[in-house]
Amino acid sequence: MNLEKVIFGFFIVLAMTLNFGFFIGDIDNPAHHHVYELYAAIIVNLIATVLKFGDRTQIGAVHLATSLVADLQLITAAVLFAAVSGTPSELTMINHVVSLSGGALLANIISVILLMAETISLRR
Amino acid sequence: MNNIIFLILRRMRAPLIAVIVSFAVAVVGMTLMPGFDAEGNPHHLTLFEAFYIISYTATTIGFGEVPHPFSTQQRLWMTLSIYMTVIPWFYAIGKIISLFQDVGLRVAVTTSRFAKEVEALSEPFYIVCGYGETGSLLVRALDSKHMRVVVVEILQDRVNELELEDYQYDMPALCADVQLPDVMIKAGVRHPMCAGVAALTNDDHANLAVAIAVKLIRPTLMVLGRAENAETAANMASFGTDHIINPYTLFGEHLAMEVHALGTYLLHEWLTSVPGESLPSPAWPPTGRWVVCGYGRFGKSVVENLEREHITTTIVEADPKLTGCENCIIGSGTESRTLEEAGIRDAVGIVAGTDNDINNLSIVMTAREMNPELFVVIRKNKRYNEPLFEHFNADITMQPSDIIAHECLAHMISPLLAMFLALARNQTNAWANQMISHLVGMVGENVPETWSITIDPHHAPAVDNLLSWGKAVKLDSLTHDPSNRDIGLDLVPLLLLRENKPLLQPELDTKLMHGDQILFCGTPSAKAALPLILSNHKALSYIMDGKEIADGLIWRWMSSKFKH
Repeated sequence: MNLEKVIFGFFIVLAMTLNFGFFIGDIDNPAHHHVYELYAAIIVNLIATVLKFGDRTQIGAVHLATSLVADLQLITAAVLFAAVSGTPSELTMINHVVSLSGGALLANIISVILLMAETISLRR
Repeated sequence: MNNIIFLILRRMRAPLIAVIVSFAVAVVGMTLMPGFDAEGNPHHLTLFEAFYIISYTATTIGFGEVPHPFSTQQRLWMTLSIYMTVIPWFYAIGKIISLFQDVGLRVAVTTSRFAKEVEALSEPFYIVCGYGETGSLLVRALDSKHMRVVVVEILQDRVNELELEDYQYDMPALCADVQLPDVMIKAGVRHPMCAGVAALTNDDHANLAVAIAVKLIRPTLMVLGRAENAETAANMASFGTDHIINPYTLFGEHLAMEVHALGTYLLHEWLTSVPGESLPSPAWPPTGRWVVCGYGRFGKSVVENLEREHITTTIVEADPKLTGCENCIIGSGTESRTLEEAGIRDAVGIVAGTDNDINNLSIVMTAREMNPELFVVIRKNKRYNEPLFEHFNADITMQPSDIIAHECLAHMISPLLAMFLALARNQTNAWANQMISHLVGMVGENVPETWSITIDPHHAPAVDNLLSWGKAVKLDSLTHDPSNRDIGLDLVPLLLLRENKPLLQPELDTKLMHGDQILFCGTPSAKAALPLILSNHKALSYIMDGKEIADGLIWRWMSSKFKH
């Protein structure tokens, strides 16, 4: 067992699960989407991105790309959330925040699929 | 370039993760600490506000306590956050800066930039390995002859020197060891435009390595190898190095040439000099008995060549055992007693050929005092001693770097020039003198341009077209001004190569044929005018018949009407 691989897998899966946790619930109900969950998803995603730096293989490049996509969407969602929270438009804008995080979730799912594909193709 | 980005990213992993984690903890903690708003109601900072505060604190900007003055708990957490975030932040910045100062990274950047510059070259270029005295001379001459050069040199100082020099063309230069094949590949050995490689480092082994590498990677490429030892030269010859240059042998040959055929020697010097320089004044080495001081590689070559010209020599050598010298006078030659013993008073010339400049100068100064009529040949080893040699004013000063550079130029300007010079050596001195006076009459006292042309559809489409239409084109047609046929261009055809048979000094009424290669020598303006004649059939026809060809549909139609 390789500790580096454990940490790598941990962060990638955690990024996806946190993202999913934030995403799930009624899309237009702010009570179903906690800001701390979004925050945690962003932090874990950023760490996952940095962990993917410097891998020259093809699969490593795609890994990095999916993470960058997730970061971009989650950070956009967070900026939007920060801008609208506490204002009257929060009720309508929460739709967009959640749908952005939904996009990020897709990217994270791809990332996990890649991780699984990599693991399965490893015959050791 | 890609590799470099990955390298940076990889090394930035740890600092970036440290920054992210410390920020994350500090931001969350900040939102959890209880505080009060302006009215004294309990209030928690939002995530965004906390991120804002931590951002300006971690980067040491510090805007103060916003939106409300902090409570004690918040201040406590803030104190902790400062130490927790500022340190990783500086760690990350320090890491970035140290990365950019990293020697390995900088080498990677300059190497990849060099490789890109070489790849972008679209004209024929030569690779010069070693930018020492010889290399810099050669590079300067090639640059002034409008040839592109790529330089590889092992010392950074010399590469810096090259960057400060004022050359016409951009010159990709890399500080690297030429013995690494990868370096030679980056320098463009595989590049389709690479015309040849000159291995001119002062290390015979490095030159050998370059020659082998090039001959293996691209056997057809021309390689000029400098070899000062006989074993290296033999080794280089064994795998087909095109031209092996030994400065000592060459100087011996030149000296012999000067003794028996001054004209040929001058022709040789003149055609391989840098354009624009004036013709060196000839020296007349006398025949009689010579004293040769120093029987090393240089001395041996001189003695051998002088004896071939039936000149007797007396050798003075300090260490006859080491140099394998029989029948010589033992001593360094710097003291008058040894020179007296060698019979300096009734000798006609002296050669100071040791590998120590100061000794050489001392020898010739003592010798001249004893016999002021002596013809002095002195070997100069180090360029920085130049002022001393200028003051002494010897009849012939031999500098290895000059000789190597000239020899390289002869091969690089055009293969035809080397062929011409080889043929010229077999001609009589009278022929050479006549040739020189002819050239001086045509191009003046300055060093002329030398270049070659090929009659084929690519290089000379106009001539090729006319030949295909069955018209005879004489060599004479190429020697007239395309704007006024009565004025001749200042150029002289030196050599015509047809079906691998060289023809020295071709007659002007020679009819040109497909595939002919011609070597010209002339003024820069003549060189500039020639491409027009070669590529524009109107200009060529005008020179041949004195008539302007009407071109364009209407003019063609009209001229055909009026003809009938």
